Amino acid sequence: MKLISILDHLAAAPATAAPAPRRALLAQLGRAAVAALPLGAALPAAAAPADTSYDAVTQLLQLERTQVALYTQALAATGLIPAAQTADFQRLLAHQTQHAALFLKALQDAGAIVPALPRFDFSGKHGVATNPELFPNVLTNYDAFLALAQQLEDLSVRLYQTQSINISDSQLLRAALRIHAVEAQHSAHIRGLRKGRGAVVQNWPSEEDTAIVRPAAAQALTTAATGGEENGVQYVTPGVPIPFASLLLISTNTAIHDPALAEAFDEPVSSAAAQAALNLFV
Amino acid sequence: MSDTLRPTDSQSPQPVQPLLARIKRRSFFMYAGATAGATALALAGCSKDETTPSSAATNVSFGTGDASVLNYAYALEQLEAAFYAKVAALTTSPLLAAEVPYFAKLATHEAIHRDFLRTAINRDFGGTIIPDLTPKFDSIDFTKRVKAATDTKLGILDAAKAFEDLGVAAYNGAAKLFKGSVYLGIAGQIVSVEARHAAYVRDLITPGSFATNEGTDVLGFDRQLTPTAVFAIAQTFVEQKLDASTIGQ
Repeated sequence: MKLISILDHLAAAPATAAPAPRRALLAQLGRAAVAALPLGAALPAAAAPADTSYDAVTQLLQLERTQVALYTQALAATGLIPAAQTADFQRLLAHQTQHAALFLKALQDAGAIVPALPRFDFSGKHGVATNPELFPNVLTNYDAFLALAQQLEDLSVRLYQTQSINISDSQLLRAALRIHAVEAQHSAHIRGLRKGRGAVVQNWPSEEDTAIVRPAAAQALTTAATGGEENGVQYVTPGVPIPFASLLLISTNTAIHDPALAEAFDEPVSSAAAQAALNLFV
Repeated sequence: MSDTLRPTDSQSPQPVQPLLARIKRRSFFMYAGATAGATALALAGCSKDETTPSSAATNVSFGTGDASVLNYAYALEQLEAAFYAKVAALTTSPLLAAEVPYFAKLATHEAIHRDFLRTAINRDFGGTIIPDLTPKFDSIDFTKRVKAATDTKLGILDAAKAFEDLGVAAYNGAAKLFKGSVYLGIAGQIVSVEARHAAYVRDLITPGSFATNEGTDVLGFDRQLTPTAVFAIAQTFVEQKLDASTIGQ
């Protein structure tokens, strides 16, 4: 599978009914396993994501679809985004649209089941008017919108870190890694916009940031966006830390504790934690 | 501290030991103080009495396998760390007041990446570590925030953008070179921080220029470069000759 040929097709409409050639993605998956998976955007609550290639691609597709929906709705909301920043969010929307199209095409080309496009509700009410509003004013108040956008971009960086490695097709994996870095630029930019409006926040997750306050029922988003980012110990082999933090006597010696140690590394997020956050918006 | 180091020391051939000893001193200066630490780091990077840096004409070869890819990343982090340490040590900075503490943060992040990679390489691939590179920043004008159209040298922000964009493209391109996925994971944890730096610096030069594509690249995908292409750019900033031919082989 040539990456460039996928990219060439990104802007095109989805393929017609003609069956696409089988791709490496499907070869790694096993047809039966894919066919057995249920339709629908969210994985069933009882089944924790198993981090197969199919699960990785569909979860990243849901993430990108969520961001496409948020930026689409935000750009359509009169008076929400200042004129000076309209171009920024148009670029963010264009990028996320490309990313969603890539994963959609990958699934279609593999002959895999494509999850239906969910109906998104960024109030956190799940489309039910009587449900509590978990994310108030995100489409009417610019600061509330930016805070939500930042958390979704932070989640995005971490989920690509987690799921890219689970993608079995090497071309698609490399494409995912290149998206990963773009999501980090998105996050840094939105953090910069918030900083410019007086929020105490840096361009990278830091313990010096002021926490974004959410109701308990929306905590899954904060957990998925930045929970665990304070980690200052890095492993290569599980359970065996690189003798680095102790070498520098940073993490254990509060006298010279330096938040930069945790800032210098972004942390992956578990697919289950990410799914819990994504489920808040469908 | 020495307990942590001892196993690595015992596995490593003789020439590595002075390097490790120097990490401790350098790290202490780097993290224990603020401005003073940054100055000490810059001085340590330039001093010739602690180690024997490769002479300017030396070729630096990177070996093969995952060790070569890690050393490749380590070379780039050395350059970035040396650049930001020099910026942080400026007594008169052309940067705006709000930018100075942020650049100090960048200096710390990159020094952490450099020290982390050095420690990881010495632990997992004892004896393969490349020597300290000698930075060559004569194409950068440290008295300029951004270069004017008529300037031939880069300003600080121009150089920072070049380093960060290069770092992101290098990590993206290196992903396929790792034989095992364990190092891919840790590289992923670093590259996104580099991308955050890139967006920050780009937005300083031109607000809203984060994640834009220059030239031929595809919308929404950051660049990827081969080690050879990366060194073609990085060579400008290093005295030694960098040999990419075996990286990832």
